[in-house]
Amino acid sequence: MRPGFSRGLFFCVETFVAKDDEELQHIKRSRLTGIADMLSPTSLALLVVIVAASSAWAQTSSTASTSSQAQNGVPAAAQTFREVVDETGRTVRIAQPVMRIVSLAPSLTETVYALGLQDRLVGDTDYCDYPPEAQKKQKVGGAINPSLEEIAHLRPDLVLVTRHLNTLDTVHSLDALGIPSYATDPRNVDEIVASAKRLGEVLGAPEAGAALAEDLQHRLDVLRQKIGALPPRRVLFVVWTDPLISIGKDTFIADALRRAGAVSIIDSQQDWPQVNLEEVAHLQPEVLVFADSHSETTAQHLDVLATRPAWRILNAVRDRNFAVISEAVNRPAPRIVTAIEELAEKLHPEAFVERPTPDKVSSNTVADAKGLCAR
Amino acid sequence: MVAGPVAMGAMRSPGETSRANNELRLSVEQVSYAYSPNPTQAPLFTLEATSFQARAGEIVAILGPNASGKSTLLKLIAGTLEPLSGRVLLNGFVTHSLNARTRAQRIAMVQQESQLLFPARAWEFVLQGRHPHGRALRFESATDIAVARNALAQVGATQLSDRWMAELSGGEKQRVILARALAQQPLLLLLDEPTLHLDIAAQVDLLHGLRHLAVENRYTVVVVTHELNLAGEYADQVVLIQRGKCLRVGPPGVVYQRELLEQVFQTPLSVDLGPSGRPRVNVVADREGR
Amino acid sequence: MRPLTIQRLFAQCAALAAILFVVVIIALKAGAVEVSLFALGRDLIRVIVHHGGEIKSDYGLIVMNIRLPRILLGIFVGASLAVAGTGFQALLRNPLADPYVLGVSNGAALGAILALLVSPHLALLPAVADLLTPLGAFLGATATIAAVYFLGRREGQIDSTTLLLGGVITGSFLAAIIMFLMTSETGSNLRGMAYWLMGNLSTSLQPSVYWILWIGFLLGAGAIYTTASDLNLLLSGEKEAMHLGVDLPRVRLVVYIAASLLTGLAVSVSGSIGYVGLLVPHVMRQIFGSDHRVLLPTAAFGGAIAVVIADTIGRTVVPPAELPVGAMTALAGAPLFIYLLRRRMA
Repeated sequence: MRPGFSRGLFFCVETFVAKDDEELQHIKRSRLTGIADMLSPTSLALLVVIVAASSAWAQTSSTASTSSQAQNGVPAAAQTFREVVDETGRTVRIAQPVMRIVSLAPSLTETVYALGLQDRLVGDTDYCDYPPEAQKKQKVGGAINPSLEEIAHLRPDLVLVTRHLNTLDTVHSLDALGIPSYATDPRNVDEIVASAKRLGEVLGAPEAGAALAEDLQHRLDVLRQKIGALPPRRVLFVVWTDPLISIGKDTFIADALRRAGAVSIIDSQQDWPQVNLEEVAHLQPEVLVFADSHSETTAQHLDVLATRPAWRILNAVRDRNFAVISEAVNRPAPRIVTAIEELAEKLHPEAFVERPTPDKVSSNTVADAKGLCAR
Repeated sequence: MVAGPVAMGAMRSPGETSRANNELRLSVEQVSYAYSPNPTQAPLFTLEATSFQARAGEIVAILGPNASGKSTLLKLIAGTLEPLSGRVLLNGFVTHSLNARTRAQRIAMVQQESQLLFPARAWEFVLQGRHPHGRALRFESATDIAVARNALAQVGATQLSDRWMAELSGGEKQRVILARALAQQPLLLLLDEPTLHLDIAAQVDLLHGLRHLAVENRYTVVVVTHELNLAGEYADQVVLIQRGKCLRVGPPGVVYQRELLEQVFQTPLSVDLGPSGRPRVNVVADREGR
Repeated sequence: MRPLTIQRLFAQCAALAAILFVVVIIALKAGAVEVSLFALGRDLIRVIVHHGGEIKSDYGLIVMNIRLPRILLGIFVGASLAVAGTGFQALLRNPLADPYVLGVSNGAALGAILALLVSPHLALLPAVADLLTPLGAFLGATATIAAVYFLGRREGQIDSTTLLLGGVITGSFLAAIIMFLMTSETGSNLRGMAYWLMGNLSTSLQPSVYWILWIGFLLGAGAIYTTASDLNLLLSGEKEAMHLGVDLPRVRLVVYIAASLLTGLAVSVSGSIGYVGLLVPHVMRQIFGSDHRVLLPTAAFGGAIAVVIADTIGRTVVPPAELPVGAMTALAGAPLFIYLLRRRMA
């Protein structure tokens, strides 16, 4: 039986059995019996708590070495490990096979589902909401400061983190607990695809990874065929309106825009630059792009924007040239390709019409274009 | 101190009713006070019913050991504290009932060093005394400037006019503070331990000047002090207080009795007549064996 | 002896107004888009004379609809914060007081955040929805003003020390709530809130809001100005002021409410722009002296000049991005504060 963390440290004295820590067990027993008749009940209870707590702590330090063996009943000698280098350059030692995964980012959760490995996912963050089944998984807290207790309680073989969301603190804490963590760091769409593929390999499902990557790449190729030759449309990707915040040119979102046949008019080194409205008014983007899965709230918001004199200078606001796409564009996960396709269709509708007769193209597509872009 | 121009009287604030030389101006009638820090505790400090009267041109000294209630009595006279019983009348008006502005036109208080938050020049400081006489948003008129200049001259501080307050010595600051009080053109001038930080020459200077001002400008002056001899020399009346109780009121010659003073100040003393005809109190040092 | 006269006051204010005018012209010229001020002036005159009609040119639209409102907002915010800071420094008799010390800005921030969280769930007219954030901020500010007032009373009157303590405690309590709310939102929501809290003049407002702001400023600053002479006396000490005829309870109440309202208005539309309310009064004191009859108007001008300069630098130094004005005032303000501090100590 495996020793485990428990919250009610009072009660774990009885359930505590450690196969290999007999010494600690002996100390604990002798303390309890020897002192029991000397102390008052409260001090005894306090002492029990202290001893149990220190035992628990001692147990977790040895978790790393004992976890793999106790997991699937395989004796210590037969446990295999793999050493992989993650996307931040760290060398990680992962026990094989990887059966229990905890994901600390919504994008990683989505990728795990996309790889078909969701049965091995034992925990994810409060914000992992796609696909909907992911919400039923055990939650370990937020992405930025998850509950280490919860993570350890789930006894994961591997924790997945990503550099653009999780913190170094979390990784170090996991290291200290002896829990291996694998970090992804995709900077553009190509890397997102490659990252998904690598993740499949690391998790012991290389065929699933390759298949997913191939599918994504295929879709991207098809897209490039359709719109690659068309001139990109000049857009402003709006993260926030008060103040106006957009995305920098080195972000994966900017790359996604490029893949969708758009170019962000904001040329900034910062990842989330606060943008001067004058600049935007001067550059006059053709379309304003919003990422919101709840299109009603965006519609409300856009109506509000149209009433402001400063914003009405923008042609895109006056003509209601908005494009609202799925929030998936904000996550470096496979679903971003869907968002890219969505955006591409909105920006270049003429490329997606299914083989129309030549005389219909000119009049209809123009009308369709306005209809698709406007709200 | 140097006597200033006599024209001070012509610049009196209008509406003053007492013109006769010896009319009663200040009447303290059975005022008492009690103070408790919170409602559940018994009152900590009391001033028992005290009475005295003063005329224009008189100096009254409130005398007593530390923490005897002198400052409390002064605040009651000033109208900033409400008496538990009794009342204080200034020319027939109850001082506590007046609003702050009217009160400041008639009563001026000189306290120990004020803590200035930001630097100010002496003339700015003195001009503050004109505040009660102006409307809410005003700029100083020629009258105000003249009165302020006059006040500085009366205390002999004209040369200090452009200096920063923070640079002045204790005595100089005291003069400027007094000048500010004079600029208020009050009927009643109250001083709370004005001689504390002054050397003997400055103390004499101050009291001498006060007497001159009182006579010259028809002020009534009430001084809280524990300087027995200064009070004896310059005061027209003395109010002797011990532990909240007023023990005696009267001219120094009447109040300065040896047994009374020894009881109040808890130390052997002797009283005789000084060269000016006023009583003089001497400390009796305890040599070996008495 | 050179007491203050109306003429001197006007002269000093006129000098500062001239400086402000020059700063505004420079700010109008500076920015992403090239502007010919001569042409703009000509168009403006034409518009005014002909009563209406829009300025057609590209730069004209940008200047009139984006730049000028922003500059006007900066003037309002700077003047309000500086006057409020002067008022609080006198009221609390503390040279370190600034408009935010009594927690009003945290209350406004909390109100704005709550409005942001609530607004998607309400079905509102677009124009009303746009006002929700400043309105929420202002409501938060007024609630805080009331709460701190009741906390800061002793024996039925405002007491400076109790007020300061009550305000600081309320402020930190509200800051904790804000921190809690901010850690429970992620993604773009969090980012937007952080920028707003830093202090920002880039919110574009409905024209009606501008009118409200300016009326509020005149009322608030005017109310404080009526107590200018009283505040001068307050500087010598509270007891002395009372003996010199200052109606202390009334003055305290007027200054507290007026200064807090000015702060609330400013923070509602621009977030917490720091150091203006703290330092502009000190600088003006060095130049013009501590007489509040001069200090209040000159601080208003000084605050306006400071904020417009800071904002202009912030929006021109890293195009196309811009630095929030609150960051600029902090960058300039902190060293200036240290310098002033050392001068006092020396």
